[in-house]
Amino acid sequence: MHPILKSKARLGTYLLGWVPFGLLVVWMGYDHGWPLQDLACLFVPMTLSAAFLFLTSWYLCRAFPAPTFRILSHGIAWIVAALVMGGVWTILLWLLAQIMTLIPGLGDLGKQVKAGWHFFFVMGTILYFMVLALHYLLTALEQSREAERTEQELRVLTRDAELKALRAQLNPHFLFNSLNSLSALTTLDPKRAREMCVLLSDFLRKSLKLGERTTVKLAEELDLVRNYLAIEQIRFGDRLTVAMTVDPEVEGVEIPTLLLQPLVENAIKHGIAQVLEGGTIGISATIHGEFVEIHVDNPVDADAEPPQGLGLGLRQVKQRLQGRYGSRTFFDAKIRDGRHEAVLTFPRLFQENQP
Amino acid sequence: MTERTYTALIVDDEDLARAVVREHLAAHPEIQIIAECANGFDAVKVATELKPDLVFLDIQMPKLDGFEVLELLEPQPTVIFVTAYDQHALKAFDVHAVDYLLKPFSLERFEEALQRAKARLGSGTPSHVQATVLSGTAKSDWPLDRIVVRDGTKVTLIPLAKLDFIQAQDDYVLLKTPEKGHLKQQTLSSLETRLDPKRFLRIHRSFIIQMDRLARLEQSETESWVAVLADGTRLPVSKSGYARLKEALGEV
Repeated sequence: MHPILKSKARLGTYLLGWVPFGLLVVWMGYDHGWPLQDLACLFVPMTLSAAFLFLTSWYLCRAFPAPTFRILSHGIAWIVAALVMGGVWTILLWLLAQIMTLIPGLGDLGKQVKAGWHFFFVMGTILYFMVLALHYLLTALEQSREAERTEQELRVLTRDAELKALRAQLNPHFLFNSLNSLSALTTLDPKRAREMCVLLSDFLRKSLKLGERTTVKLAEELDLVRNYLAIEQIRFGDRLTVAMTVDPEVEGVEIPTLLLQPLVENAIKHGIAQVLEGGTIGISATIHGEFVEIHVDNPVDADAEPPQGLGLGLRQVKQRLQGRYGSRTFFDAKIRDGRHEAVLTFPRLFQENQP
Repeated sequence: MTERTYTALIVDDEDLARAVVREHLAAHPEIQIIAECANGFDAVKVATELKPDLVFLDIQMPKLDGFEVLELLEPQPTVIFVTAYDQHALKAFDVHAVDYLLKPFSLERFEEALQRAKARLGSGTPSHVQATVLSGTAKSDWPLDRIVVRDGTKVTLIPLAKLDFIQAQDDYVLLKTPEKGHLKQQTLSSLETRLDPKRFLRIHRSFIIQMDRLARLEQSETESWVAVLADGTRLPVSKSGYARLKEALGEV
């Protein structure tokens, strides 16, 4: 949308800006001895035609946005456009003058305007440049405002995602299914039942404790994940195996709390629980230069329709990463060769600069 | 007087969850467990062959969910759903389940469900319902993302992406994929309500097509139109079907 035509107030201000120019022409004409009433007739059509004609410089401004300036090619385009539009305006004025010569009483003015065409051509070209500059200025202002708004939205989203993540830390179905396994084990295998009780209590205690903090060491988060998977292993039996490789160097890295837990819960819910024979959940955390790279992968049902885009859980992980690390993070999740794989990277060292 | 005996099938993908049901049933010699299944495919196969009186059925399972299993069973057995998810309870009663046990459950609650089941079985009320209306709802309510079809004991899952068109044939629908056609006992209208209208369009009383399969529309000699699919199949378009097509394609 054209930045000036967007609102009536803007258009009004813009047109008001043309009044001094019109008055300047009137004054110059008066200085040359043109009758004042003739100049008054010229004032309005001349100013309005220039004002509206030069609004078209918006298209040039949009075609060559400011950050991609290349002096030579853009400069040529600007000069050509200014000469063409200056010319178009001069022709318009010439036509106007032509009409004026037909009106009794204005004939002289028409002739004089025609005679001064080179003056109008130069003036039109300069004015076009001025309006073009105004458009670039307005666009830059709008962009910075837009950027500010996006940043604010992102911050709100991050906070939302944090809240939701904390609220969702205890998946009720995980709890009910685990308690049901426990119910079976009490008579089948009392020893394992006790083990399950301890695992569940540990998991609850840890996740409550982690939930109070905004960041944790990767080692603590992975500890919680191991705890969670141990419980699921009792529930799924042979159907679940876990392969975890963790570079000792990453264990001390601080990450947003409960960042990995939803990925692993997803791997169970949409992976292991949906595949007849089950399979292996692979988790790896490695260092790549300045970045930490984490993979979580799981088998998926080959016959199921692949999901459209990221689910809520994965979207939240992505938002939380972007909220904290901005553009210095990467997140992707896709299905390849019958396995779902989530990959995320973020800086190893990160200085907190939250507002 | 000797009590009647009934056959039962336990369907759950978790060993331990089956174990709980099995343990509770051990106190009831009148209920004979004829099989246990760890997934929906097996459940359909076993239930079709052995025709159990009573089925303990989990809902969230790999491949086929509980509602899909029920949809494929003919005659339909008496069912007690056993699940950790309470959001399906209302739907379970829509398919006339005897009871809905939430995991974990107490012995008393289990006994209550069993008594209800025996009462239903004793009264001989046939529990015939159209489970098709609920099939697939364990994942999400709407729209459907796949259709389950049974041929004998063989179950086929047809992802909607594979469907070219659906044709009404009396009490059945013919589901046409590039490889073959599958018959399923369901009406075209009831299936239509479960499909995303942006993706599937009823072009005729007897035909629904997948929109991205449509190659072009041809006018036959009179005022009527023919839909030509990407594979060359030609299907009739009715007047109202043509109006719907025009609207969907955004033409004037």
